Amino acid sequence: MGMSTGGSGGASPNINVTPLIDVLLVLLIIFMVITPLKPSRFEAKVPAEPKDQQNVNVKPNPLTLVVAINKETKGITLNNDALGDVSDTEKLYNRLNEIFRDRTNNGVFREGTNEIEKTIFVKSPKSVRYGDVVKVIDAAKAAGASPIGLQIDDLTD
Amino acid sequence: MGMQLGGANEFNSEINVTPMVDVMLVLLIIFMIVTPLLQQGVSVNLPRDMISPDEDGDIAKDTSVIVAIPDNSNFYIGKEQFPLDALGDVIKRRMEGKTPDKRIVYIKSGVEVDYGRVVAAIETIRKQDIDKIGLVADRKKGAEAPGGAKQ
Repeated sequence: MGMSTGGSGGASPNINVTPLIDVLLVLLIIFMVITPLKPSRFEAKVPAEPKDQQNVNVKPNPLTLVVAINKETKGITLNNDALGDVSDTEKLYNRLNEIFRDRTNNGVFREGTNEIEKTIFVKSPKSVRYGDVVKVIDAAKAAGASPIGLQIDDLTD
Repeated sequence: MGMQLGGANEFNSEINVTPMVDVMLVLLIIFMIVTPLLQQGVSVNLPRDMISPDEDGDIAKDTSVIVAIPDNSNFYIGKEQFPLDALGDVIKRRMEGKTPDKRIVYIKSGVEVDYGRVVAAIETIRKQDIDKIGLVADRKKGAEAPGGAKQ
């Protein structure tokens, strides 16, 4: 190292490019990692718009699972059973898993089909953060719920 | 230039990295240019680290309809901003001629947005006879889809 003045056969005119390559490689890798992020989504169903002349006396389905979020406490309820809150969806996941396993074992089918009834409805007040709602949907989906319905009408603020 | 046999008292043992640097610079520039182009529409703070969303290549397609809600006051389709009451017409126009199983509208909403805004968008969407909504979310890296739940 150091410039040799005279003496030896000649000063080396090469620039040391190693740090440059290091930086470039890292940048390259960063961009390569960012680029191919595959998009994914939760599929949700929304009920058709209610028509005025619709038959009002629909029979309530005893198998319906409604997951609701409380706006003050951020607590999650499944058909009125409290199951933790949005910061910890583990309880909801476990409970749904249990229900679906029972249904599979007992052969509880959706009316008129031979699929296990795994429908879930998500109901949340309008002021809840979207992120919290998605967290709940994520837990339900992970437990195997399908289809997932979003309640749109008559939501509280 | 050229290897000197004997004569000079130094032997150059360095690898010539100049072509490698050239190639890498070009690659780097390509990626830098391509990355912003790949991202269509406005940037939204999507829900991250989700365990179970399904991958859907259609989201990236030009023909799919994506409603972006980056904050509580705006709705975007692509890069254009629309007021809530104009949203329906735009969606209707874009959905024309799609087969029933392709009639899905994707919603890209930021995590801090009120659920009520998302519901307002969904309400407009379903007035166009669409009952399938895709809530776009980022999957956690390396998370496997739960057994058999994939569609």
